[in-house]
Order: sequence, then C-alpha cells, then structure tokens
Amino acid sequence: MKLRAAIYPAIGCTLLLAAWEVAGRTGMLGRSFPALSQVFHVYEDAPRRALLVRSAIATVGSAATGFAAGICLGIATAIIAHLLPLLRGGLDRLAVLVNALPVIALGPVLIITAGREDTPAALAAIPVFFLLYVSTGVGLRAASQQLGMVMTTLGASRWQQLARVEAVVALPSLLSGMKVAASSAMIGAIVGEWFGAPSGLGLVVLNSMQNFQIPLLWATVLVIAAITLSGYGLLSIGERAVRSRIGECDA
Amino acid sequence: MREVTRSFLRRSGAGQRQSFIAVGPLDLQIGEGEFVALIGASGCGKSTVLRLLAGLEEPSTGQVQINGLPPRDLQAQHSLGIAFQEHALLPWRSVEGNLRLPFEVADLTATKERIGELVTLAGLEGFEHARPAELSGGMRQRVAIARALALRPKLLLLDEPFGALDAVTRRRMNFELERIWQEQRPTTLMVTHNVEEAVLLADRVLVLTQRPGRVRKDMGVPFARPRSADLMRTAEFHRLVDELTADLETA
Repeated sequence: MKLRAAIYPAIGCTLLLAAWEVAGRTGMLGRSFPALSQVFHVYEDAPRRALLVRSAIATVGSAATGFAAGICLGIATAIIAHLLPLLRGGLDRLAVLVNALPVIALGPVLIITAGREDTPAALAAIPVFFLLYVSTGVGLRAASQQLGMVMTTLGASRWQQLARVEAVVALPSLLSGMKVAASSAMIGAIVGEWFGAPSGLGLVVLNSMQNFQIPLLWATVLVIAAITLSGYGLLSIGERAVRSRIGECDA
Repeated sequence: MREVTRSFLRRSGAGQRQSFIAVGPLDLQIGEGEFVALIGASGCGKSTVLRLLAGLEEPSTGQVQINGLPPRDLQAQHSLGIAFQEHALLPWRSVEGNLRLPFEVADLTATKERIGELVTLAGLEGFEHARPAELSGGMRQRVAIARALALRPKLLLLDEPFGALDAVTRRRMNFELERIWQEQRPTTLMVTHNVEEAVLLADRVLVLTQRPGRVRKDMGVPFARPRSADLMRTAEFHRLVDELTADLETA
C-alpha cells in the first residue's frame, strides 16, 4: 500500500518531466521554453553556478532574517493580544491592514526608509508576521475551556496558565503557520530584490529575463522552488513531530 | 472548618438583554469533611453553583464563603480541587506529569512519595509514565480526581465526574471514588444527575429545582461507610433513590 502510494507520484513526475524535455527539444512551446537538460547545463557551468550559489546565499539570508523577525513580531503581538483582550480587536485589524498593503506599492517606500539591502528582509517579514500572528492566536485559544477552569481553580496565575498550558497547546498551530510562512518569506525576499538589491536570486531572475538568458532564468526559478520546498518540507516534519509529541489537544 | 456558602445569582442569558435568575436565592452549607451531592435536571444551574464555589463565576448578589473566605482567596492559597466530566488532563504529560501540575502551580516540590501516593490513590501503579491517550476513560478520570486531591484541598468540587463513562465503568468508578474519598475525606460537593451515584457516595443529597435553581430537598444519607455493592441491594437504598427520583421529576 505504501509502495503504491509512492509509485504513482513518481510515475506522474517522470511523465511530466519527460513531457517538458520533449516540448523543449522540439521547440513546440517557443524559444522561451527550453528543454530540461538545457536548464541543467547551467548548473554544470562553473561561473554561472557560482553566481547562483552566491545569489542563493544572499536571498536565503534575507528571507531567513525576515522570517525570524516576522516570527518574533508575530508571536509577541499574538501573546499581547491574547493577554490583553482589550487590544485584540485593534491588533487584529492592524495585522490585516499590514498584510493588505500591496508589496509592489510598499517596495519603493522601503527602499527609501530601510535601504536597498534591507528591503528584501523587510518584505519577507511582513507576510510572516501576519501568518504567525494569526496561527499563534488561534493556537493560544485552542486550549479547552475545562483545562482553563481547572488551572484557574488550582490557583494558577495568568502567566502559569500561558506557560504551562496555552503555549504548549499553541505549538502545532504555530509550526503550521511557520510552514506556510517559509514560502511567503522567500517570495517577499525575491520581490524585495527586484527593487534594486545588490545581489540575490531575484536579481538574477530579473537580469536573465531582460537579457533573454532563458536557461539561466529557468535554472534560477528551479533553485528558488527547491529552496522553498525544502523549507516547507523541513517545517512539515517539525510540525508532525510536535503534533505527535503533544498529542491530541481536544482534551 | 465551618463552611457557609450562600449565593443569589442573577445572570443574563446569551444574547438576551433581560436578566433572569438561573440560580437562587439559594442557601447552602457544607460541614467539614462532608460529602454533599447536588442533583437536578439538566439546566437547573447545578454546575453554576459549583462554578460559584470554585470562584470561576461571581455571584450577582449574596456571598460565597469557604472557611469565611471568598473562593478567589482559596484559589490563591491553592486549596481548591476540581474535576470535570472531561478529564482535562495535559495530553503531552504522563500520569505522573499531570499529577505534578498542581504542585508546580503552587510552587511546591512534588515529592516522589506524594506522587507515588497519588498514583496508588488513582489505582494506576504501573501506568506512571503512560500518556492520557494510552489510558481508558475511567483511568483518565481517576487521574483527574487524584490531581484534584493532590494538594489536599479544603474543598473538592466534582462536576459530573463520571458523566462521560458507560454505565458499567461508571458503577465501578463510584466505588473507586468511595475508596479514594475515604482516604482523605475532603469536604466535597459533587454535581451529578445520577440519583444512585448521589445516594451511594454522599452524606447529604440536595435536589435543585429548575430555573431558578433552588434547594427543593435536603436529605441526609444515613448509611455507614465504607459503602459496598451490597448496600445498593438494600430496600432502604432503593427507597431513598425512589424518593429522590420522584422529587427530581416534579422539581
């Protein structure tokens, strides 16, 4: 059963990649659609490989910085909203507002305020902040009412309630938020680089598009996809581990 | 300990502007070391009475006092114990870990002996390291009751503690509770809608009327302890159960 579950996706992927190769070789989808083998040649070329590695390090650095900052801000704001219900309505609206600002409009503003080098991290942080604010908030409210009443009756302080029960109950939801936010951080960082960052995968995408370096463009996009998927995958594993460690929280 | 508990409660219904009286006026006294069962049809406010005693709700009028102090003070002194229909155990902690929770909340060290005593009290030797998910419903409920007794509370509050169990397990748990209760003899208020359970366990049974909840009957249960299954076959036991059931039906 497990083998079959692995075989079908493998067959599907192989077929898709083969179709891509054929489409590229025959040129049936035009010159902007190269064969997969052509794209992979880019990785064998030392200077271009070095460019991709250097750019990937820069982009992942920005995305990670924004990811970390967004997580800290999102969690901290969610805890404040949880502890001070009076502020919650306002903070909810603020988070939605921040998330509703179009990145394209925000970019130039950040270039002026945060600078070219920090704009990618800043644009990465914004969606991460929103996702973590929401997922942490949902997680903190997930503890059962009866558990809360038991804690209160036992004489637990608000802080003990948070530290011993709510924070733990919130973990799976928090990791689930991080999982989704990882992709958003990469998108934010890459878009941020379009506004004139000195290096990064976003810059390579932009340059190779403008210079019609089609295989390099595709090669860069594949690197971005690989990084994003690994982040998602790693955090999924983390989430699953936490869920099984914490157990069913319907208690 | 002389417990004087009185509450006149006026609560507004969900979404309704006009307030109605859910419970009371109600006078209720529980003597030290006494086991009082509160029975009544669902919705008669018996759980409200329990939550008032736990300090989870404030009376609209009147006073709730335990040992001359309001319930909030007893919370702060960590001298209340509570168990609900849902076990409300921390699913990520073992039996021992859950029994340690009240000590952590009270900033006390849980000695190995005391935790061992509580495990024995719950009749769960050999399951010290089991997680709630690995226990049966009855076992979880015993852990929840042992947790409520961990700090030797001045007042033990039980809200339908066996309501979610099947009839056979429930009967067995009644005798388990009788045994557990004998060992510490804490002052106890148990809310239930099971008349036999109330007569079997309590020194006094109070019948609450429907909306507003008032004490319709206050009946002493004269049977000596420890009480066994034989008691449940006596004519006197059945007479009390029948009498209370009749009261419940017309309440």
